[in-house]
Amino acid sequence: MFTTGSKLFLGGSVLAFAGTLIYSGIHGGPLGTIGLVTATIVFAFLTGINFWVRDSNVSSMDTAGIESSPAAHAAPGRSMWPMIGGLGLALIPVGLVVGRAITWLAVIVMIIATVEWMVQGWSEGASSDPVYNAGVRKRILHPLELPILGAVGLGLIIFSFSRIMLRLPKAGGPVVFGGIGAAVLLFGALFATKRNIARSLVVTLCTVGAVGIVGAGVASAVAGPRHVTKHEIAEKTLTVDNCTADHTEADDHSSRAIAGKSNLAATIVLENGKLHADVIGVNGAQQTITIPRSNDSYIRFQNKDSGKVRLVANLGYDLINPGASNEVKVPDVVCTQAVTKGGAQFLIVNPPRPSSATKFGAPYSFTIPGLDSAGSIAIEVP
Amino acid sequence: MTTVRSRARKLALPAAVIGGLALLTGCADHAPQNTWAPAGENARDIDNLQRTPFAIAGVVLVIVIAVVGYCIFKFRDKGQAMPKQSHGKPALEIALTIVPALILVGIGIPTIGTVMKLAKTSDTQCVINVTGQQWWWEYDYPVQSGCMPGGIKEPIVTSGEMIIPAGQHVLLRISSRDVIHSFWIPRLNGKRDAVPGRVQTLRMQADQPGIYDGQCTEFCGLSHAYMRMEAVSLDSAGFATWVGNQLAAYTAPAAGSAAATGETTFISQCSRCHQVNGVVDSSGNPIIARPDLNVYSGAAPNLSHLMSRTTFAGASFDLLTPDCRKNLRDASAADFSALYLKGVTPECLDTVQLKQWLRNAPAKKPMYADPTKLGPTDNKTRGMPNLHLTEDQISQIVAYLTVRH
Repeated sequence: MFTTGSKLFLGGSVLAFAGTLIYSGIHGGPLGTIGLVTATIVFAFLTGINFWVRDSNVSSMDTAGIESSPAAHAAPGRSMWPMIGGLGLALIPVGLVVGRAITWLAVIVMIIATVEWMVQGWSEGASSDPVYNAGVRKRILHPLELPILGAVGLGLIIFSFSRIMLRLPKAGGPVVFGGIGAAVLLFGALFATKRNIARSLVVTLCTVGAVGIVGAGVASAVAGPRHVTKHEIAEKTLTVDNCTADHTEADDHSSRAIAGKSNLAATIVLENGKLHADVIGVNGAQQTITIPRSNDSYIRFQNKDSGKVRLVANLGYDLINPGASNEVKVPDVVCTQAVTKGGAQFLIVNPPRPSSATKFGAPYSFTIPGLDSAGSIAIEVP
Repeated sequence: MTTVRSRARKLALPAAVIGGLALLTGCADHAPQNTWAPAGENARDIDNLQRTPFAIAGVVLVIVIAVVGYCIFKFRDKGQAMPKQSHGKPALEIALTIVPALILVGIGIPTIGTVMKLAKTSDTQCVINVTGQQWWWEYDYPVQSGCMPGGIKEPIVTSGEMIIPAGQHVLLRISSRDVIHSFWIPRLNGKRDAVPGRVQTLRMQADQPGIYDGQCTEFCGLSHAYMRMEAVSLDSAGFATWVGNQLAAYTAPAAGSAAATGETTFISQCSRCHQVNGVVDSSGNPIIARPDLNVYSGAAPNLSHLMSRTTFAGASFDLLTPDCRKNLRDASAADFSALYLKGVTPECLDTVQLKQWLRNAPAKKPMYADPTKLGPTDNKTRGMPNLHLTEDQISQIVAYLTVRH
């Protein structure tokens, strides 16, 4: 009764109308609603035109002939898409109540179902040969279906892997995934040597493996990740309150902090109980280093002695409200975390005042709190 | 055919003019940044390295052009039949692979040797910290035992002109306060990027006393073209004199003088950003500039000894009259150090540009200093803003600065 072209436009009309309902229900913007209503009317108009002129196919005007032809009597294939479309439609009100994500999922399901159903319906009328019709459908939809399904499947597998890894104990991850990798290798090797292995067996094994991973992933996601202990670590550098000989929890994890090794302003070393500085381009160990004013100078502190010590940069005082009655002197001090033997830490020093500002206070220096015998490294700021 | 020939004739003249002009640039007698005129061992190493490949490349170019030209002329279309086509000539192809490979190996070996030589730091005799910022270079001389007999006992800071002792292996420790810059004195060595947070080294050595020009070679913002530098090489005695002068204690201007009035004006208008070492307030406390609170880069040139250098504002503008500048540029190696150390004498001082600068610095050198547009930089300027000084204030500050030798 309906011609091929009119079926297509009828599907378009239904899709546009459904879109109108969904859009106006979710978003309700006038512009989009008007656009979708317009699309519905246009598709409906085109449906009528195509139906009226029988797709401009003169022979098709002979409805008696069409109805009596073998193609007219070919049974349509079974389709799951109406059911899936119905599921999507049912999910829309659920999503409107529960959350936007479900609504969007329902809309996507409906769109997919509509497109698939339309193309399937159209392809079944392409000829009287069901095999040819199925080929037509594949040619149209496989370029879309295969990449999308591949991406979704891969995403599902990756997501499942991540959930499983987050759920497994820290030491269990390598064991489990080492085992899975070994199993994949083993089966791959077996399949490679047994060329005439039944295809169904391979498909079954792959399916079981994929379902197992996805199932385990879902179960892990529901169970939630394992407990991860968060350690306190220093951010960039420590400041005056923590730059003492005492140790904090942050010092226990100093190995986690950055340790730059090249292009530094200087490396300050504690060795044989004494401090000395190595400066690029300056030959020999130094007891004085000169660093530019108002610029980040990157200093590396290396502890070659036993014990756990930190390096402190004493950069004078910062004046709050200078000259005013409520003037406050705040020590300008930064330091590394405590470093054990063989370790190294990073310190960024940025003195805002030249050394001449220290003539009425303590000179700038690097020291080690609690280890006066190590001496100090003088800091000169031009 | 006729159309092609007439078009070629039309193009020949412009091509010849452009080519001729390009060749004429090689005749410039004042080319202070000429990489082909090295004035120190590092630049000479580079020069020696580049000449051979240039010669080889020139020979290859001539051969290729000759062969291509011969083929174009010999086998031009004269209506003849299509010649027999052939494919592949293994012996020739192998030869054309091996010969360039051998040439590259021949170039590569001395290149690696030169690169390693230029990276050497063990023979350093003098260290200078070089810090770039928009749009000037700061040079500070660390406390060290090198550079001169007895070493440098207190740090020195200057800008625009980098003073180096002639003949010594100087090592520059280059960094940046804001964006990436690149330090290049073509007659003394190759270039080195100044990267915030990193210290990169560059050897520097000048055979003779003199001025060696350079230019920032990494685009760094609005006034990149004005970010110039000069390496000034002094003989050993001259360098020691210069160091002594830079470390000399501050001398306050005589009471009642124009310079004394200028000091007061300078303190009120300029010392927020510009440091003059040794200047104190009425209570005797040192006045410490805080450019880090006012300028995006966190620094402004130290003006303690402005008149000991001959340029200002990133070595962009001259403090010398043109005649004095010419005399200094033309001075022989033997006379240069003494002439330079005279500094900017009253008879050589050209205040025109300095006054223009003080009147409205951003008008003279483009900078991001419009107070209404400083939101992205936390209300800090990039460069010197227009301070809206009166003519009297400008004269007072100039009077003060001209005694800062």
